[in-house]
Amino acid sequence: MKINTALAQGLVRCHSCGFLGKRDIRLTKCPLCASPLHGRQPHSVQKTLAYLLSAYLLYIPANIFPIMTVTKLGAGEPHTIIGGIIALINSDMLPIALLVLVASILVPLLKLIGISLLLLYVQRGWTGDAYRWTVMYRIISFVGRWSMLDIFMISILVALVDMGSISEVLAGPAATAFGAVVVLTMLAAKSFDPRLIWDNQNKP
Amino acid sequence: MPAAHFSACPDCDLLLNRALPQIGSTAHCPRCGCLLHRPRTDSVERTLALSIAGLLLLFPANFLPLVGIKVLGHEKDGTLWTGVMTLFNEHQWAVAILVFLSSILLPFINIVLCLLVSGHLHHNRRHRYLTHWLYWLQHLEEWAMLEVYCLGIIVACVKLSAMAELQFGLGLYAFVGLLFTNALLTSNLDGHLFWQRIAQLNGQHYEN
Repeated sequence: MKINTALAQGLVRCHSCGFLGKRDIRLTKCPLCASPLHGRQPHSVQKTLAYLLSAYLLYIPANIFPIMTVTKLGAGEPHTIIGGIIALINSDMLPIALLVLVASILVPLLKLIGISLLLLYVQRGWTGDAYRWTVMYRIISFVGRWSMLDIFMISILVALVDMGSISEVLAGPAATAFGAVVVLTMLAAKSFDPRLIWDNQNKP
Repeated sequence: MPAAHFSACPDCDLLLNRALPQIGSTAHCPRCGCLLHRPRTDSVERTLALSIAGLLLLFPANFLPLVGIKVLGHEKDGTLWTGVMTLFNEHQWAVAILVFLSSILLPFINIVLCLLVSGHLHHNRRHRYLTHWLYWLQHLEEWAMLEVYCLGIIVACVKLSAMAELQFGLGLYAFVGLLFTNALLTSNLDGHLFWQRIAQLNGQHYEN
């Protein structure tokens, strides 16, 4: 069954304002909002892959190094992301521990795996249930920003707990890496063009 | 133009007859379920009102203390700014810049852009950069993360509650107000309508 997409009919939709125009070499810019017109986002797969690989690489230091150091009465105690969650569980704050676990470990990991699978789906020409894959893509793009939770929490803690030797919270090297992972996975999701999923269906 | 009666789904590129749902109802793509159109009552006026409210709340939310703690007689207040400044002083430049952008600068830019666009549309005034403003608004929206910051405050407070006495400042109320204003702003801004109005102002015939 051949399904009518705009591109198959020689039409191009503007990504910013929704303008639908005839595909034409001379028409490179949207006549209304002047943003570039493309049938599909150019180099979508390559860009997504580049962001994704960088995110994978930075995911390692983000989990190995301490994300913050808590000093109490002169004794410093570095926390990794997982260490912080274990500390929360040990002090009987299970709901918050679960929240941090989901936001800082599960979401980034599932995002990395999910985007990898989406790229495989498109590159390998899989034709599975495209609707489900689109829903997965939407969940990935929606949920990404919530991983910033840890970074914001640290920014509040360092400002509040700053009393010299009595107690002090310092941000660690993993904070930079983790922040970069969140931004890179958001960029990866943004540069992935979900219409590629549906293009697989139309290929003979 | 042959394309005038059609539109395309942004997520799956299905060619569709243009949907014109009533206010209060929505149009979804029949193939992938993407939300195509959700018209709002008085979208321009509400956006204008909400962005003025947001601009008023922005300053107390940024500069008044959100939370304060008391440990062994020491008191300390935290605002959005002190978090960024402390990170900066600890030489965590990248993290400081990231927090500054997503919790201070981009929410501010978004509100200003909303104000500029809706203000011009409300008064039917043309401006050279009107399309650029709306373009940037649509692209920067997802990088403002006030609601995530709010969750960060909650988690930080729970962590601290074991070791210190907490006080909630006026800034926190302004911040929560700003959060709701921002959420309403996002849901009331009808992109379709805004682009149509801009096209009308520029004298272009266009429907999306």
